[in-house]
Amino acid sequence: MGAEQMNVIDLRSDTITHPTEAMRKAMSEAEVGDDVYGEDPSINLLEQRASEILGKEAGLLTASGTMSNLVAALTYCHRGDEIIMGDQAHMFWNESAGVSALAGAQVRLVPNDDQGKIDPADLSAAIRPRGNVHMPPTTLVCLENTHNRCSGAALTPQDTKAVADVAHEAGASVHMDGARIFNAAVALEVPPAELVKDVDDVSFCLSKALSCPVGSVLVGSEEFIGEARRWRKMIGGGMRQAGVLAAAGLVALETMIERLADDHANARRLAQGLADIEGLKVDPESIQTNIVIFEIEPSVGTAPEVLQALADAGVKVTPSRTQTLRMVTHRQVDSADVEEALSRVAGVVGKLREQNKA
Amino acid sequence: MTAIDLRSDTVTKPTDEMRSAMATAEVGDDVFGEDPSINELQERSAALLGKEAGLLTSSGTMSNLIATLAWSNHGDEIIMGTEAHMFWNESAGQAALGGVQTRLVPNDSQGRINPDDVAAAIRPSGNLHFPRTSMICLENTHNRCSGGVLTPEDTKSVGDVAHAAGVPVHLDGARIFNASVALEVPPAELARDVDDLSFCLSKSLSCPVGSVLVGSQDFIDNAKRWRKMLGGGMRQAGVLAAAGLVALDTMIDRLAEDHQHAKRLAAGLANIDGLTVDPESIQTNIVFFEVDEDLGTAADLIAALNRNGVLVSYPGKQSIRMVTHRHISPEDIEEALSRTSAAVRELRSAA
Repeated sequence: MGAEQMNVIDLRSDTITHPTEAMRKAMSEAEVGDDVYGEDPSINLLEQRASEILGKEAGLLTASGTMSNLVAALTYCHRGDEIIMGDQAHMFWNESAGVSALAGAQVRLVPNDDQGKIDPADLSAAIRPRGNVHMPPTTLVCLENTHNRCSGAALTPQDTKAVADVAHEAGASVHMDGARIFNAAVALEVPPAELVKDVDDVSFCLSKALSCPVGSVLVGSEEFIGEARRWRKMIGGGMRQAGVLAAAGLVALETMIERLADDHANARRLAQGLADIEGLKVDPESIQTNIVIFEIEPSVGTAPEVLQALADAGVKVTPSRTQTLRMVTHRQVDSADVEEALSRVAGVVGKLREQNKA
Repeated sequence: MTAIDLRSDTVTKPTDEMRSAMATAEVGDDVFGEDPSINELQERSAALLGKEAGLLTSSGTMSNLIATLAWSNHGDEIIMGTEAHMFWNESAGQAALGGVQTRLVPNDSQGRINPDDVAAAIRPSGNLHFPRTSMICLENTHNRCSGGVLTPEDTKSVGDVAHAAGVPVHLDGARIFNASVALEVPPAELARDVDDLSFCLSKSLSCPVGSVLVGSQDFIDNAKRWRKMLGGGMRQAGVLAAAGLVALDTMIDRLAEDHQHAKRLAAGLANIDGLTVDPESIQTNIVFFEVDEDLGTAADLIAALNRNGVLVSYPGKQSIRMVTHRHISPEDIEEALSRTSAAVRELRSAA
């Protein structure tokens, strides 16, 4: 098969997923209205359904996970507050420092283990004592489930409760960045509401493996969502007839959750295959959901070199930590693609090792 | 009785052609720059307005905030008119999130700003007490000034003062195409003397969502980071851009109808005893009128209008705003006038 005919296997992210036919149809027929007046029935229904599924009182459609996370920070925090999160948090690494730049909060990091967990003792030690003028108050603790930079690991309800209890005891609120919360629910075989029962609010993405074209939903108490609406408007997230987007979300909540198990199986198979390739390192047992982060031994080359070589071979991945690369499975990658990807990776890595020996 | 909805042109629903385009739109992940529909919309928008590049955002508020963040640092000062939408109705985002102080200079009844007032307001440098003036904002058409239009000359006169002082000009052009149609001037003419401009897809253009920011390539490259930070980095939003492309092709010329309807509306309101408006002042699709104090407050009349099946917006103690758009036909205008008369009569008999 010539290079021109080679199909590209895109493992960069589950965000690249296109809407399904059913979503396209629902979007084109969606009943809409002006959501700034609260009059879009599709959005209202999505927000209601989302909050029911997650066991919260109310919901809010936003343009992205970043927006949901930022809105949460703006709602909970005053300028000069401190927010605690894990040192591998997406909110710290990949959201343009928005909670500091725009919400005026300092971010304090505590360690994430390689399963994305935070040790409640570390959290306890990081929480600021009140009544000291030198110290910002800790108003918010953020968890992430599944954990992007920790190979898509899932936090159990027990993990979450252990951390949330410490936060609540100290008077701080708990926000969960649940961009991939449904991956966690499917992997752990636990209802999504169980996973978030001890947090005050959670955001989840429509545009990732759920495959909607755009969006995220923030869910929490009526009071929280009421305040959040104002911050959302301020940052420009007050959309109008966005029921066209919500309609896809409603389809996703009905049809796109259970199938996540396929993505997990594909990721597990990918990890097993990568582990068998001399020069790469990954523990397949650690792969719980749809993200595989693997290490590259120096004998192969640097991560950027390998990324480029893989791209040239028609396998697209993304950078991660030093000497690692990330692959994400989703509905547009089937098991045949996985085998093909592994075959190409083996080829690329073998060739690089040969070149380096010479 | 179906209510006649004159609250805003934001209530407009997508056309069938838009729905069809959205359903078949070619999409990709826009955070990777791979959505062809978005790329096309951004390029076409920039070309139409005579700028180098464009950026799709989720709303006019977001576009305006991005411009502020892109041009300003914390502690800067931005200048705009006393009636600016950015001051009145954008939740003070420039201050809250951008850390800038907003300095107001007078808008006249048509929404114009006097260049001398701008010159006097621009801060001299080298004084520790003074913030730096980072941006001047114009608005065209002007929402709170009854949809008044700025001509290219009006715009240039402020642009020249700003640029002489090294200050960029942002144009809140939510309704720029209304201005272009009313003045019979190409949109690029209206944008020529400003550094960047935002326009809304979701207002009279009738798209479901969105706004486009246009400016130089450097400005837009910078703007992308601020947009991402605000959470405006959407994915396969080509489904939205597709509607925008239809709008640029099919929804601009028809704005002239909305303007005619607004003029007829104003003429009719002027004939109702107890209401005051100058029909000659209506240039586009927005009509502000005053409620005589002996009749009641705007709130009183709005309640009566609602009872009579006319929806409006409530800008002030004695003033009310009506906005025409594609869902308002000439028959609706006559009916709205008739219902407004009824509402006024109700108030009079109650008084």
